[in-house]
Amino acid sequence: MSSNRRLARRLDPYRPLDRAAVALGAVSILSAAFIFVHGTFQIVQIGAISLVVALVLGLLAMAAGWLAEATLIVAAGVGFLLAAGVQILLLAGGSAGFLGGNPSTFSLWLGLGIGLIAIGLVPRPELAAQDTFGPD
Amino acid sequence: MAGTDYAANTDYSADSYFVPRAAPLVPSRLSRALLAVVRIGVGLLWLQNVGWKTPPDFGRGDPPGGLYLSASYAVSHQVFYPYAWLMDRFVLPNFTLFGWMVLVVEAALGAFLLIGLATRFWAVVGIAGTVAIALSVLNAPNEWYWSYVLMLLVHLALFATAAGRYAGLDGVLRPRWQESPSWLVGWLVRAS
Repeated sequence: MSSNRRLARRLDPYRPLDRAAVALGAVSILSAAFIFVHGTFQIVQIGAISLVVALVLGLLAMAAGWLAEATLIVAAGVGFLLAAGVQILLLAGGSAGFLGGNPSTFSLWLGLGIGLIAIGLVPRPELAAQDTFGPD
Repeated sequence: MAGTDYAANTDYSADSYFVPRAAPLVPSRLSRALLAVVRIGVGLLWLQNVGWKTPPDFGRGDPPGGLYLSASYAVSHQVFYPYAWLMDRFVLPNFTLFGWMVLVVEAALGAFLLIGLATRFWAVVGIAGTVAIALSVLNAPNEWYWSYVLMLLVHLALFATAAGRYAGLDGVLRPRWQESPSWLVGWLVRAS
């Protein structure tokens, strides 16, 4: 990345939003470690499929934040909300189901989903602003 | 000098020139980081705590367990008569509905405190949840009442410090919300 691009990125007023998306993606990836944790310190229950969900959607959120792609940030958020919805429906049926999570997993994915959608839906009018200063 | 990392140790503004006071808490980077740790920690506790509220029966059975057993302590080990009466007459007979309400509210509480979104609103929900739990189990065997006092106090601290503004989504979204004329967004400003 050239120094000019790096400077432009640092001055971007939407950079804190993108960094928040990267952080939420990182939280998801970190949560995958709970596949190895059981008992008192198990904050969320992660099974084999929920591990894949946590890693894939976490990486998507991080990449979306890194690339400053609001649409991808929303897509990652919708993915988390869908996963949370499926998990709670499976739990309503009486078991963790194929995802292998528990109500804590639902809670985590709910938070990540809502957070990413809230970030991704912030209007980003920078293209319109650039047009204003463009050649006539 | 509010809003910077370079706050003086004392405040010499006009109204306090002759009486030096400690600088506000928030300008310190360490204080902001610690508030974020408290908020995230409390969010993770709620998030973990929702794990044993498992549908579809929420522990209602023979013998009872889980959330149903905890809720039934409000009647069998009464703390406050009107609350015990309410639980006995309305909540326990309709426990599936109550169980889902608890699951959704506590899951959202953990989720929103973790990401720091609408934190002040969810701190108030946390206070209400703490009071409800305390009224259910305070007199149950092996309970330590300090737990509930501490829970209550930590949510008061999250509310008082608007803790989502530090390393939380309130911090990045609130300045944008403040520019919006929408009443819904205005509510979010107050909730953050």
